[in-house]
Amino acid sequence: MNRRGFIKNFGMITGAGIATFSVAGIPVKAFAKPFMNIQNTNGNILVIVQFKGGNDGINTVIPVDQYSLYQSNRPTIAVPENQIVLLNNATGLNPSLQSLKPVYDEGKITVLQNIGYPNQNRSHFRSTDIWLSASDANTVVYDGWIGRYLVKAYPDYPNTPPEHPMAIQLGSVESNLFESQYGGLGIAFQDPNTFYQLVNGSSADNDPPPSTLAGDELKFLKQVAALSIKYSTVIKSISDKGTHTADYPSNNNLAAQLKIVSNLIYGGLQTPVYLVTLDGFDTHADQVNRQTKLLVQFADAVSAFQKDLDAHGVSDKVVLMTFSEFGRRVKENGSKGTDHGAALPVFVMGTKVKGGVFGPNASLTDLDTNGDIKFKFDFRQVYATMLRNHFGMSDSQVSDVLFNNFSSLDILNQSTTGVGDNSLIPADYVLNQNYPNPFNPSTKISYALPLSDNVQLKIYDMLGRKVATLVNSYQSAGSYTVDFDGSNFSSGTYFYALETGRERIVKKMMLVK
Amino acid sequence: MESSQFLQKITTWDANAARHILSRTLFGFTKSDVDFALSKSLDDFVDNYLLTNQPQPATPTTIDTNSEWVTLPYDPTDPNNNTNFARYFTSLIYWWLNLMMNQGYSIRERLVLFLHNHFVSEANTVRIPQFMYQQNKLFRDYSLGNFLDLTKKITIDPAMLLYLNGAQNTKNTPNENYARELMELFTLGIGNYTEDDIHNSAKALTGWRINNSTLTSYFDKNFFADVSKTFLGQTGNFGYEDIVNIIFSHVDTSSNPIAAQFVCRKLYKEFVYYQPDANGEVYISQLADVFKTNNYESKPVLSTLLKSQFFHSPDIRGAKIKSPLHFLLTALKQFQLNINNDIFGYVRSASALLSQDILNPPDVRGWQGQRNWISTTTYPQRNTITDSIINGRKIGTTTLKVDVVAYARTYSSSEKAVDFVNDVTAQLIQFPLSQTRKDELLQTMLDGAAVYDWSTYDPQAASRLSKFFKALMRLPEYQLS
Repeated sequence: MNRRGFIKNFGMITGAGIATFSVAGIPVKAFAKPFMNIQNTNGNILVIVQFKGGNDGINTVIPVDQYSLYQSNRPTIAVPENQIVLLNNATGLNPSLQSLKPVYDEGKITVLQNIGYPNQNRSHFRSTDIWLSASDANTVVYDGWIGRYLVKAYPDYPNTPPEHPMAIQLGSVESNLFESQYGGLGIAFQDPNTFYQLVNGSSADNDPPPSTLAGDELKFLKQVAALSIKYSTVIKSISDKGTHTADYPSNNNLAAQLKIVSNLIYGGLQTPVYLVTLDGFDTHADQVNRQTKLLVQFADAVSAFQKDLDAHGVSDKVVLMTFSEFGRRVKENGSKGTDHGAALPVFVMGTKVKGGVFGPNASLTDLDTNGDIKFKFDFRQVYATMLRNHFGMSDSQVSDVLFNNFSSLDILNQSTTGVGDNSLIPADYVLNQNYPNPFNPSTKISYALPLSDNVQLKIYDMLGRKVATLVNSYQSAGSYTVDFDGSNFSSGTYFYALETGRERIVKKMMLVK
Repeated sequence: MESSQFLQKITTWDANAARHILSRTLFGFTKSDVDFALSKSLDDFVDNYLLTNQPQPATPTTIDTNSEWVTLPYDPTDPNNNTNFARYFTSLIYWWLNLMMNQGYSIRERLVLFLHNHFVSEANTVRIPQFMYQQNKLFRDYSLGNFLDLTKKITIDPAMLLYLNGAQNTKNTPNENYARELMELFTLGIGNYTEDDIHNSAKALTGWRINNSTLTSYFDKNFFADVSKTFLGQTGNFGYEDIVNIIFSHVDTSSNPIAAQFVCRKLYKEFVYYQPDANGEVYISQLADVFKTNNYESKPVLSTLLKSQFFHSPDIRGAKIKSPLHFLLTALKQFQLNINNDIFGYVRSASALLSQDILNPPDVRGWQGQRNWISTTTYPQRNTITDSIINGRKIGTTTLKVDVVAYARTYSSSEKAVDFVNDVTAQLIQFPLSQTRKDELLQTMLDGAAVYDWSTYDPQAASRLSKFFKALMRLPEYQLS
């Protein structure tokens, strides 16, 4: 459901009676003492760093083992080999990430390689929406994956909003990441004190809007007003408790944002998700200068953040992860820059990460038709890892949030396991023996996909002629079972084949009439 | 409403219709503006006032020394560039804000802002104010002109060539930045072209460079990919004009022109509602037919839109969240406050605070508008701003303050509390206000006094009216237009 659909329903619910009355239409004082407030969170916190513009992956994490090929693709922008900060003998970091190295050496950073999704979209905006909503490339979803997580974590919302905000974004334009069937669930502000002063003196109201499009917009405005009134005081009082011990770099916008976040975390705010942003990664020209500045900001800010959390003894409940809408083209363009590409690395930081480099280097020889890096892990596997192993959600909840049961990546030490296991998602493509076999006249064929893929399941006769196509579609990762009805076929041996973009598996079966 | 009626002209031309049109086409209006509009017929007012171009304004000059700068050659080695550019940008922004405030009855400056937000360039990236001025002038020249011609002009506009790297696009290793956004954001929309179309059109757009002395772009064939390109199914040795022509002749599987649909959807989002539903899509297709039939001239399609029954339906009236600039300039204009450079400086910074940094949209897609204008931070910020112009705010040497008593007395109903609340809210709020709301405002204004005791001559009148106007402008309804 998109925002507008929600607001329409919201309006109807409100009309139905007091029992389901909610944020937008209720006097603020009614929020003060929640009667019952179930919170299915485990106290863990996720900090998401968004790199806006599409960060160039292979100048961030450099495939040292393919250095000459890397350099020949990028004669003017390649990082000189002797400046690379080596992580191991195959992989290295851009020297502007130098300040991450000590944190990496402590085992608190995992570098995930080649993250992406099938049918990469190269539009900034569409691909950002895909990352924020966790949709497939060809499906438009209006709410955010965190918004859907929060709806599960706070089942009493909107009837009883929690005491602390469900999500916080540093900035003033709200992200779709926190969008949900109940509207935006996040609070956006630039600094707790100013926010408090701004909101001070506002009051909410309960005049019901008319059921027109214009009325939808009014409803939306009231909801935002109610959220800001509800949370500005608690944010300020908790922020006032914080005291920093780590030195945050000055003139660093990301550091300023993370400093506020850390203050709120050790001040005791229960908010499980924070979003901070670093903008300017769209380096079509003059890339080296521009990317260097940004990566320095990033590395200095997050290493200070990790130190700060360590010093306050709260670092084992916090994980930080980065994302960007896409990586960039392997071959540089004629303006000392790079155009839009595909897969890219993601950084995950925290005391409980396993550390190291996860996954092989980006291959500079096996590129897609556009000359871009192929993805190895789906970005939703990273999300699934956070939901399942950091937030402790069950497989079925993860499935609801991500529209599919994506498997976790083995990157977190202390696993906060949820209910159930990951058996639905295999490590590799699987085609099981049909059952029953031999059969008359029908049988079941089951198979499983580790990743979303274009899938065909075809039946061939002994002479290799295709006699039936049982499946021909794009399918998400998971297990599937199809029936084959052999009523119109003669007795004999047949082959069934699972054919995907990456794999072909064939098995034999017998029809005996 | 049947879809056959969507484009039909409204039959009632009354104060509500006039306020709706004025609120969607100007940056604020007064009671006498409504009276003026109603003194004309709908056709006369829309076609001969709103959609009639104004004379070209004089060029901006610096605030401090009143000197010309828009034609000064750009010298990259001048050590004073940073200082001067800041002065020139200030001059440009104040000059534009002044045009917005004093645009008469013409829609022009709303269209210039629309085009700035459609063919986006960010001043922070372009850096050179002369080029941002030229682009702003280009938008003004074509605001009521031909959209296809404008698309050609903007493709080789110096600011755009800098912003999306066209000036660095070269034959052997093309830079795809402009080619992609030209199709994705300016003309066709995502899904209506392939990655190969981007590679090929990037080649066709090579060869353009900028002369910093003359402040113009020029074609240098040494940089041009002088080869055959295949683009949207056509093959030839295309240049930029061919690319734009092919884009505008590109049709979908039902032979509908895609660019016409795309641009009309943007017009819809700007002037009607931010998110078309099924009816909205039908209406957009109908507008696209008008646009295409008139060879992408802007006037006929806008004329049809502004007079149409769809545009004037109750769903649409009051459904647009004011942009920060609209919000700020309306607040000044509705009270007819005197403006000067101090005030323009204030509007510029307040607008940036509310997330509309004029000449610097957040990215190449521009400000998304509507609900993105409102966050838990920007909404309370709006309230503090409207409070302050009632309480009085000192800006430089100017005090910005509404004389609430004098303003109240411009209404013939000023001494009748109930009528006065009705009249003021109708004038200042486009959203149909509920009776509950009006009663609340009335009680705020009376502040404990009895309704029959109300008088603007009471010693308490100023403080009561101040409370009333602050409460009125804090309303969520006031954010809507």
